[in-house]
Amino acid sequence: MQAKKLNVKDKYRLLTRDLDWEFSYEDRKEAFPYEEFEGIKITDWDKWEDPFRLTMDAYWKYQAEKEKKLYAIYDAFAQNNGHLNVSDARYVNALKVFLTAVSPAEFASSNGFAWAGRHYGGAGARVAAQMQSIDELRHYQTQIHAMSHYNKYFDGFEEFPHMHDRVWYMSVVKSFFDDCRSSGPFEYIVAVSFAFEYVLTNLLFVPFMSGAAYNGDMATVTFGFSAQSDEARHMTLGLEIIKFLLEQHEDNVPIVQEWIDKWLWRGYRILAVVAMMMDYMLPQKFMSWKEAWELYFEDAGGALFKDLERYGIKMPDFTETIKNEKDHISHQAWWVFYSHGHAAAFHTWTPTAEELDWLSEKYPDTFDQYYRPRLEAAAELEAKGERFYTAGLPQLCQTCQIPMFFTNVDEGKPTEIVYRESTYNDERFHFCSNECKHIFDREPEKYVHAWLPVHQIFQGNCGGGGLDEVMEYYRMGLGEMNLDYKGSPDEKRWKKWKGVA
Amino acid sequence: MHPAFLYAWSDRKHLEWNASVYEVTIDTTGEVIEVEEGQTILAAALRQGVWLPFACGHGTCATCKCELLDGYVEHGDASPFALMDMEREEGKFLACCATPESDLVIEANIDVDPDFQGILVEDYAASVIAIESLSPTIVELRLSLDRPMPFQAGQYINLELPTVDRARAFSIANRPEGANEVSLHIRKVPGGSATTYVHETLAVGDAFNVSGPYGQFFVRTSDTKDAIFIAGGTGLSSPESMILDLLASDDTRQVYLFQGARNKSELYHRDKFEALAAQHANFHYVPALNEPEAADEWKGFTGFVHEAAEAHFDGKFSGHKAYLCGPPLMIDAAVTALMKGRLFEADIHMEKFLTAADGQSEITRSALFKKI
Ligand SMILES: Cc1cc2nc3c(=O)[nH]c(=O)nc-3n(C[C@H](O)[C@H](O)[C@H](O)COP(=O)(O)OP(=O)(O)OC[C@H]3O[C@@H](n4cnc5c(N)ncnc54)[C@H](O)[C@@H]3O)c2cc1C
Ligand code: FES
Ligand SMILES: [Fe+2]
Repeated sequence: MQAKKLNVKDKYRLLTRDLDWEFSYEDRKEAFPYEEFEGIKITDWDKWEDPFRLTMDAYWKYQAEKEKKLYAIYDAFAQNNGHLNVSDARYVNALKVFLTAVSPAEFASSNGFAWAGRHYGGAGARVAAQMQSIDELRHYQTQIHAMSHYNKYFDGFEEFPHMHDRVWYMSVVKSFFDDCRSSGPFEYIVAVSFAFEYVLTNLLFVPFMSGAAYNGDMATVTFGFSAQSDEARHMTLGLEIIKFLLEQHEDNVPIVQEWIDKWLWRGYRILAVVAMMMDYMLPQKFMSWKEAWELYFEDAGGALFKDLERYGIKMPDFTETIKNEKDHISHQAWWVFYSHGHAAAFHTWTPTAEELDWLSEKYPDTFDQYYRPRLEAAAELEAKGERFYTAGLPQLCQTCQIPMFFTNVDEGKPTEIVYRESTYNDERFHFCSNECKHIFDREPEKYVHAWLPVHQIFQGNCGGGGLDEVMEYYRMGLGEMNLDYKGSPDEKRWKKWKGVA
Repeated sequence: MHPAFLYAWSDRKHLEWNASVYEVTIDTTGEVIEVEEGQTILAAALRQGVWLPFACGHGTCATCKCELLDGYVEHGDASPFALMDMEREEGKFLACCATPESDLVIEANIDVDPDFQGILVEDYAASVIAIESLSPTIVELRLSLDRPMPFQAGQYINLELPTVDRARAFSIANRPEGANEVSLHIRKVPGGSATTYVHETLAVGDAFNVSGPYGQFFVRTSDTKDAIFIAGGTGLSSPESMILDLLASDDTRQVYLFQGARNKSELYHRDKFEALAAQHANFHYVPALNEPEAADEWKGFTGFVHEAAEAHFDGKFSGHKAYLCGPPLMIDAAVTALMKGRLFEADIHMEKFLTAADGQSEITRSALFKKI
């Protein structure tokens, strides 16, 4: 018979036990005041299975090694003027979107995990959440460092923290994290670890990282690999939390279902910007948004929800809507940014002839019919020297804060914008979709005070009423980081470096 | 030596076998898998019903990191962040990318059950003592071994039958008593080469090799919860061994056996279990037929075996340990019923009787469950 060896699980237990303590003179409930407040019932924290078994000393050792490797590559990238090797300067705009939309989310998430990690009664969950908090901080920092090289050569990077709290489209991600960080610790972790990190992460990271690889951006690719090696822990934490909550008590099942529905929808809405980035901003494209959605959600997510069914969890009904929208949202989002290109911290443009053909090929049912004509008309105006910028401001959804551009594809009316509304305390609120309306109706108090950037402009809270004043408030200026790529300082510099006339 | 030359003088099948299949032993559990040239260790394991932890499946997340105890691997597309140089030097590799370059012994991050005795797998010479019909499609095959084989009730052995390539798994149906005899229940699989051979050609006195014991299917005696066994078809084999063993050791927990068969002629060993139920107050036996014939005059439970369990427990299973054994579809249905009745992965143990027809789709499942 084989000699009994300590397995990894037991080793980890021995190394980490006693991280918890008995409450002798304080009330345990007061120490963990949020544990019951969401209605979640925990009957036995001992049933928590550590999703990964990493001790603190091993964690520091591994992370330090990763940093060493990563920064060596950043240095080499900078020394070799790596920015000159990207496919085209238009690509750098995808990075601006990443830095302004994704990086602050990493920071918010770090913050959220630190808080949530404080409030779990079980030591295992506390340690896992706190480790993730540190990971997220590392991602935030390493992203900034990866981008800092580009910041020396391109416009649009430098003011991202200032803009995060002000600019109309950045409020989308900000409000997502404000929403989950102001819920309880269990909703927070279901939102971030499960809905976002487990179910949707491949639709965020793979597009940016493959985009970087296809467009010669080795610094970002390397960052991506480094972050992904942490991502596994985040994903397994997402799975463990879902299993744990569902198994702890049957009363948790309907609560968790509502959270899954809400946060998958909110996460999906944010991905509209990824969809647009994939289809319009990458000079070298690797996959269309539609293909990515099919691969990473419809196939992989399908298998997951088939397994979750055993717990009584069902696939949200709105996945049908998403399926219908997958032929549309990237084109709609790009048009919003193109037409508001004066108020964005990155450049927009009309696609080249080859890019238009690629879009026709990837979206045979919709592109030529609905979206190509508009882009061609815009190109014609541009050729006449009348590049189109809208004078209006978009109406924003009260829940997701995205401009109302989504159309009624569910009812086969792809040119009709969806407007939904609810009245609460005699006030009317507007939504981009049934789902955002439903989220509001469930917890109206949480959204009535939302800081909607467009409303704030109209109320005079953003520097003043004129475009110049708002641009100053945003620290965007006019004609450097914004407006069309054609004729931009970015383009001029790029042509000079590349010796193109 | 030039490969074409080798080819000329050696038996083709033999050459391919040697050149392309490596044996990988997972030291942690004693499981052994066969990995083809160019196949990743993870892909081979999942296809052979052996669970290894994984998430991304393509070398970036490090969830599938294993340690090499013996042999050589090619690291494949492992990301330098998921598998750092210092780890490569320490003999770590990623199972989702690594392909063996020799036979391997590896350690994986899987939990070893405290009730697992870790009995070493060995080869035994077997000869047929008896082949008896249990039902129109099932025979009992009794083998005598060259020496006693220690095993845990519930485990299985691999048979290396003459004229059949690759070994086939069959669960041991007798209880471990230290004797050098094992008894197997073997269903004839339509179109199946090994089981057809056993049913039609194999004769008393025939000799071949077996290896074992294998598997993680055994009673978790250290957990005192009452035990529910759900068996479909020849999936009675392991539970029979486990139940006989429990009752013989005077274990006092409640033990329930739900035995499923199509009709009365397929329901074998009923008398044996009815007698045991009469003898032991803590043993309860419920046979279920899903397609009884009129001539069966069946008065017992009609329906699938998991439905019999649901009816018995009023759909509530929490507080038990469940042991499932039989064809994959039956196991799937039983897991669904148990989870609906709020019994979860940690308390569900199973042996899926996979055949070559089932093995293909395992990798498309989600990572939510490890063992079920
Ligand atoms: C751990 C374990 C324990 C088991 N215990 C028992 C037991 O106690 N009793 C018992 O009766 N059974 C048991 N089984 C099942 C048993 O091992 C199989 O029924 C047996 O291996 C079938 O062998 P075969 O040669 O007859 O069939 P095979 O020739 O292997 O074919 C099986 C089926 O798959 C089809 N098939 C063959 N190759 C392919 C292919 N490449 N792709 C798709 N389909 C294919 C065949 O047509 C046939 O229907 C157990 C299985 C496992 C894994
Ligand atoms: S499963 Fe992710 S690295 Fe192997
Ligand atoms: Fe919305």
